Amino acid sequence: MKVSFPYMGCVTGYKKILEMLGHEVIMPQKPTQKTIDLGVKYSPEFICFPFKVMMGTYIEAVQRGAEVIISSGGHGPCRAGLYGEVHEKILKHMGYDVQVIIFDSIFRDFGTFYTHLKKVRNGASLIKLIKDIRFAFQIICRMDEIEKKIKILRAYELNRGDFNRAWVEIQKLYDKCWTQQDLEKASKIAHQMINDIPIRKVKDDERIRVGIVGEIYVIMESSVNMNIEQNLNNMGVEVENVQYISDWVKHNTRGFFGSSKAEQMIGKARRFVKMNCGGHDMENIGWMVDFKERGFDAVIHLMPFGCLPELITQSAIPTISKELKLPILSLSLDEQMGTANNQTRIEAFIDLVRNLKSAPKTEVKEIEDEVWNAKLLKQELAG
Amino acid sequence: MKIYIGIDVGSVSTNVVAMNQNYNVIFKEYIRTNGQPLDSVKKGLKMLEKNLDHSFDSVVGVGTTGSGRQLAGIMVGADIVKNEITAHASATIQFHPDVRTIFEIGGQDSKIIIIKDKMVVDFSMNTVCAAGTGSFLDHQAERLGVPIQEFGDLALTAKKDVRIAGRCTVFAESDMIAKQQYGFSKAEIIKGLCDALVRNYINNLGRGKNLEPPFIFQGGVAANKGIKAAFEKEIGHEVIIPQHYNVMGAIGAAILAREYIEKTGQKTKFRGFGAADFDFSPTSIECGACANSCEVIKVDLNGKTVAMWGDKCGKWTNSLVG
Repeated sequence: MKVSFPYMGCVTGYKKILEMLGHEVIMPQKPTQKTIDLGVKYSPEFICFPFKVMMGTYIEAVQRGAEVIISSGGHGPCRAGLYGEVHEKILKHMGYDVQVIIFDSIFRDFGTFYTHLKKVRNGASLIKLIKDIRFAFQIICRMDEIEKKIKILRAYELNRGDFNRAWVEIQKLYDKCWTQQDLEKASKIAHQMINDIPIRKVKDDERIRVGIVGEIYVIMESSVNMNIEQNLNNMGVEVENVQYISDWVKHNTRGFFGSSKAEQMIGKARRFVKMNCGGHDMENIGWMVDFKERGFDAVIHLMPFGCLPELITQSAIPTISKELKLPILSLSLDEQMGTANNQTRIEAFIDLVRNLKSAPKTEVKEIEDEVWNAKLLKQELAG
Repeated sequence: MKIYIGIDVGSVSTNVVAMNQNYNVIFKEYIRTNGQPLDSVKKGLKMLEKNLDHSFDSVVGVGTTGSGRQLAGIMVGADIVKNEITAHASATIQFHPDVRTIFEIGGQDSKIIIIKDKMVVDFSMNTVCAAGTGSFLDHQAERLGVPIQEFGDLALTAKKDVRIAGRCTVFAESDMIAKQQYGFSKAEIIKGLCDALVRNYINNLGRGKNLEPPFIFQGGVAANKGIKAAFEKEIGHEVIIPQHYNVMGAIGAAILAREYIEKTGQKTKFRGFGAADFDFSPTSIECGACANSCEVIKVDLNGKTVAMWGDKCGKWTNSLVG
């Protein structure tokens, strides 16, 4: 089968698993202006930006020969859970004979999950399948680990572009891994490459650390978020993103591995919102609390224009920001590609954060999480 | 006398100021950009040179701000290139140290900046809509055949209130025509427009923020008395308009340039007033290396490429490094 999938962040891992199962992979291309134009043209007007970009990615993949597209589903009020079905419908309308296979959480509907798995596993034995998945998952985890490191260190690189060049090489390294030994070797070389890049030394109290939260697609895919992580790094700001594929997989298989990071975050969000309204809204609020607890200086929240779950996060931001004494900037993204307006916002925001950091500290009495949780519990019991 | 120069290149106006060491503004000029930012900057510099006529010893720092800050910064050799939010706030804090809330309405964008202890603690900027900006007023003034300079005074003469939808320029316009046909006077309609603009601005930008006095209102639109009155009515408090309200961004750039020079002890990169006569040509090329087809801006100064930007991948931007 000629298989393709959406492009979101680093895609080496998905490619690997499909190749190991003997499929021919039509590599999706990083979204470009052309992808977006195509997606916008064939999508419903009021659907969110990620849908449109994925639509464009699929059309391009199908034009290059893909017969099957594999994507993830979702549940809850966010429309993204139905995107796969709508994408398939639109592609069929356009006259492309293509199947979109959607993997939902294994625990929700095992029957459908298994049917889909059977199609994708290409006759491989269950043991081979589990082995392959485990291996691909390891690659994803290792690569995520390196990417996280790059987003911190790149803020201090001496020669502009060093880290990006290394990352391109590192992706090639992992792409060539087929065995556990390959993987160990690649990881060793990759870490060495990163450690060898010359960086500027900074004092601990001069570091500015910003957390990025928001809708999963726009925070993971740099081509649709104005390359915000690179942009912040260029201003000498360290970045930590809350979404990585490895975390997402762990969350959706948490039945096997125990409680996930996301569940912990939802716990932290409790004092601000009581229920999840779909997508990652509660998780994102929890992450804001978490960033504060870990001493981050600010948070940037990204959302597609009109995204329902993130609109809820956005409306909670003034309260969160005030109570946590944490500057939070929220940006809506859409097909508009002019960056001047957002650039001004980001620059002004970073100025604000730097000034706050260098200003003399005023005593702030923090309300502990436990107090809040106890209060809430009392209310719940009373109710 | 040592002077600092600040240049604010906006969508509607290009402002040039010169400030001496005591933070006194000794020259200011508000020039309509008319889509020619570079010519406006050149014009501003020439006027500055002529006006001051060697009454100063040296230019020790230059700052640029506004949407055209990058290009202008390269042209004149700016020491700092700052976003307009930080620039506006620096200027206001200098002249009104106790300021808590800044309303800034410019030609194409508008902002609210919240300040505490002389520090920006929060801000917001209009997003997708032109309803709360100077361009909207400009356009409507033209429709009504009222010169924009007389707009504010005329609004103050209105006897009655007319409610005009301010959520969107399209709605506002159709509302306005309807009200005209009901027989309301020009003055009343104009007052309705001012109220609508302010209502939209406060709803849009002030949402979720504690707006506390003193309020300072600046930007080109602050010249409009009708808007000032509408603000005072909406928030129920006096609104202060600073002396140099229409060039605050440029003053901020000059102040930031001064801070930078004093902190680093560097010499200014100012190319001199001769910069106005340099052969300075920005061109754009469409990069064909991938489907992004980025529009890359290339800036040549006396035949040598001095800056490139606009590419998503950094291929061109990085080609100049080193």
